[in-house]
Amino acid sequence: MTIAPAKPATSSVNPLRQGLRQERMPEPCTMVICGATGDLTLRKLGPAIYNLALGGHLPPEFTVVGFARRPMSSEEFHAHLRAGIDQFSRNRPVSESVWSAFTAGIEYQQGNLDDPEAYAALARRLDRIDRDRGTAGNRLFYLAVQPSLTPEVVSHLGAAGLAGSSVRASGRQGWTRVVVEKPFGFDEQSALTLNRQIREVFDEEQIYRIDHYLGKETVQNLAVFRFGNGLFEPIWNRRYIDSVQITVAETVGLEGRGEFYDQTGALRDIVQNHVLQLLAVFAMEPPVEFSANDLRDEKLKVLRAVRPMSADEITHNTVRGQYISGWVAGEKVGAYRDEPEVAPDSETETYVALKLGIDSWRWAGVPFYIRTGKALSARVTEIAVQFRRAPLALFGRAGAPGIDANVLAIRVQPDEGILLRFGAKVPGPGLNIRGVNMDFRYGSSFAVDSPDAYETLLLDCMVGDSTLFTRDDELIRAWEILDPIVASWHTGGGGPLHFYAAGSWGQPAADELLTRDGREWRRP
Amino acid sequence: MSLGPKATPYLEMRGTTVRAVEAELGRLWTAATTRVDRGDGTVVTEKGVPHARTSVLNLIVTVPNEAASDHILETLLSLDVRHPSRAIILQADPSAPGDALDARIRTHCHDGENGAGRVCFEQLALTVRGEAARHLNGIVAPLVIHDLPTDVWWPGDPPFNDPVFTQLVEMGDRLVVNSADFGDLLGGLKRLGVIRRRSGVGDIAWERLAPWQELTAQFFDAPRFRRYLPNLSRLRIKYAAGNTTQGGTRSPEAAALLYAGWIATRLAWRRARSRGGVANGGMGMILEGRYEMVDIGIEPVTTDDAPPGELLSVRLRAFGEAGSAEFIIDRPATEATIVTNADGMTALLRRIPLEPESEAEVLRRQLVLDQRDPLYEDALRAAAILLAAAQEAAA
Repeated sequence: MTIAPAKPATSSVNPLRQGLRQERMPEPCTMVICGATGDLTLRKLGPAIYNLALGGHLPPEFTVVGFARRPMSSEEFHAHLRAGIDQFSRNRPVSESVWSAFTAGIEYQQGNLDDPEAYAALARRLDRIDRDRGTAGNRLFYLAVQPSLTPEVVSHLGAAGLAGSSVRASGRQGWTRVVVEKPFGFDEQSALTLNRQIREVFDEEQIYRIDHYLGKETVQNLAVFRFGNGLFEPIWNRRYIDSVQITVAETVGLEGRGEFYDQTGALRDIVQNHVLQLLAVFAMEPPVEFSANDLRDEKLKVLRAVRPMSADEITHNTVRGQYISGWVAGEKVGAYRDEPEVAPDSETETYVALKLGIDSWRWAGVPFYIRTGKALSARVTEIAVQFRRAPLALFGRAGAPGIDANVLAIRVQPDEGILLRFGAKVPGPGLNIRGVNMDFRYGSSFAVDSPDAYETLLLDCMVGDSTLFTRDDELIRAWEILDPIVASWHTGGGGPLHFYAAGSWGQPAADELLTRDGREWRRP
Repeated sequence: MSLGPKATPYLEMRGTTVRAVEAELGRLWTAATTRVDRGDGTVVTEKGVPHARTSVLNLIVTVPNEAASDHILETLLSLDVRHPSRAIILQADPSAPGDALDARIRTHCHDGENGAGRVCFEQLALTVRGEAARHLNGIVAPLVIHDLPTDVWWPGDPPFNDPVFTQLVEMGDRLVVNSADFGDLLGGLKRLGVIRRRSGVGDIAWERLAPWQELTAQFFDAPRFRRYLPNLSRLRIKYAAGNTTQGGTRSPEAAALLYAGWIATRLAWRRARSRGGVANGGMGMILEGRYEMVDIGIEPVTTDDAPPGELLSVRLRAFGEAGSAEFIIDRPATEATIVTNADGMTALLRRIPLEPESEAEVLRRQLVLDQRDPLYEDALRAAAILLAAAQEAAA
């Protein structure tokens, strides 16, 4: 008798791994969290790593080293992580049996991030981990530090010999990657400087600039929706699409980020990264392959095609606002200028509305309306596509009122999904037509939980897939788009700073941006 | 039977018709306002609030009696948000007197997290008697939600030769069974091997192997150990055979055979012959590996510490340049010890929690799948060959 033969295995492939659910198992590696005692680790990184371990996505040798200034034992670091997981993880509370195995691979290295000796000690610890736990010299440095510290930390990593993919003390050549959080500079010049500083130590292939929006299921599904279905791509152009609205609305205020936010504002904090990345994925041409560089090449082409605005156009096509006191979700919210660490005469925008154009064959003439703000009436991120109306008002002759244009809304958060709005006849005599929704929701259509964006992105980074990370040229181009707007605002151009009540949908000036074009904002 | 906090009480319909059941199911979602007392002082409103029925799949389950029906309903409730959109539990008895059709309907809702709306599921338990029980497809077909995948879960020992089995399997996109419950394991494995559905066949016994497969694969993720794979020469598998107090699993060796079949097909082992036949659930086979003859041993262990059919131990041995190597997973109870003894060194890699999973946990993973599993299909075919070889020698 003969057993069904499998394809001959090559030595580079584990034949027992092929076909298993966990086909993307990272190589054994150590993840070093620089600034491990901060909020990001507590809220995002700790829960993400735990959920990856819980789901069996991490190799047994996987090790975490928390690296921060605060004196703390490894056991205290475990307790710190556990507190975050118990509070913020999508799987909580912590499973005791998983926890004990999970913490066996988690250590803490105390050290000042500006002290070269701390990095030397870290290097020794990492070499010891390579030997003891078989992590084979593979290292992932996650910079969960204040943005201003990034260049210094990177420089110290390089000086300590921790940055290169060189032969380790363990004798094996491993990979080294570094994850950098936003903001990636505060304008084009500072971004170029930051890039140069990081590139003095790491190669571009080693740098993973994380924008957690790109790790969200719906954003990834946008590419599948467009290029995996025969139905939508043929109408994804100026011939059928009237306009596009991108909304990133938050109900929260500053949440303790007053100092940072007052120097940054909504345009830099949200539009420069999240919104322009959403825009690029939405509007890009089909890549040759769904690979990191092909995808990023196509996104870059979109950003390059975003039409630069003259000073007059900035005045005409941008609106900035700042919230004053109001009520959000039944709770009183103070004015922005009364927030801690915010200047009492601050001119920083907490709301932005923009009208952008993309000068490409596909999108010429289609306005992209963008709005983002804090302390708004609802928390929602979505891309809404308004299609052109039917060419003939056929039913108007029969007495029916005008039919709303079709809308396709891609909901990124919360309640991830896609909604198509179209007209349907109201049952009964006569010809009444009303808009109805065809609604797909992830939560009700798949019998699986969506991973948190950080889980997706951390795993991608460990397996060396940079598809969902931002490349340096995309980043610089995004600043090139926004820098003239910031400059104009700072020199008194671009119209006044408007004020809006917390809990509203922004100010009327933003409505005017659309109403003068014969359109209006969607109320998501 | 305890209800989940958001399950409505049953709507009982005795001596009813398929059309009436269909109409009642439709009313759940189209009535202007259906107020259902949950029994805890609160009321579920089925229309006019932002919740929706899920759009995942239909699940058809066959059960032999009401007690089994209640057990299945409880299992399904514990699936939480992974619950099928509509579950139809069928209890059919052609020889039973009484009304042709009784129905029990209830809904089960979950509040979405992070602002997501409430989503709801339906459970429909049908008791079919008399001649109608020979034509279950006619009863079930109008009751499934259109344009959703349909899984047929047949717990226990499926009557492969009964026309009703064929009727229901042909209604589904996927058949889910537990080969450990088969009365005739070899016959069952062979029949599964020829069933062709769009989404293939799922097997609870196979699904229980997932953590074992993962741990086994992890040994050879490291290139320095991967080189031992072509030289594997021995595989020993121990499984829980149960004891006199544990019943219900007729073929506890199923998972062990599927595991052996999986390894054999992944490593392209060939030509099975028996080594000692079958005795008390144990068996031995010899196969041709790439460079070595491979000695496979499957051994039952009487134990109270694991449910019948669960794997207890896997040991792989190979010869390499630095001598022999052994890769061991031992799971005597709820914790596994993973050991690599290779390159002249013994290393206790780690201990990890590995508790036997509940039926609901395993089913939950099965219901997520919507496509054929070539790995399982290969392992199934190989397991049948291994078992046939062992049984032939015994005969």
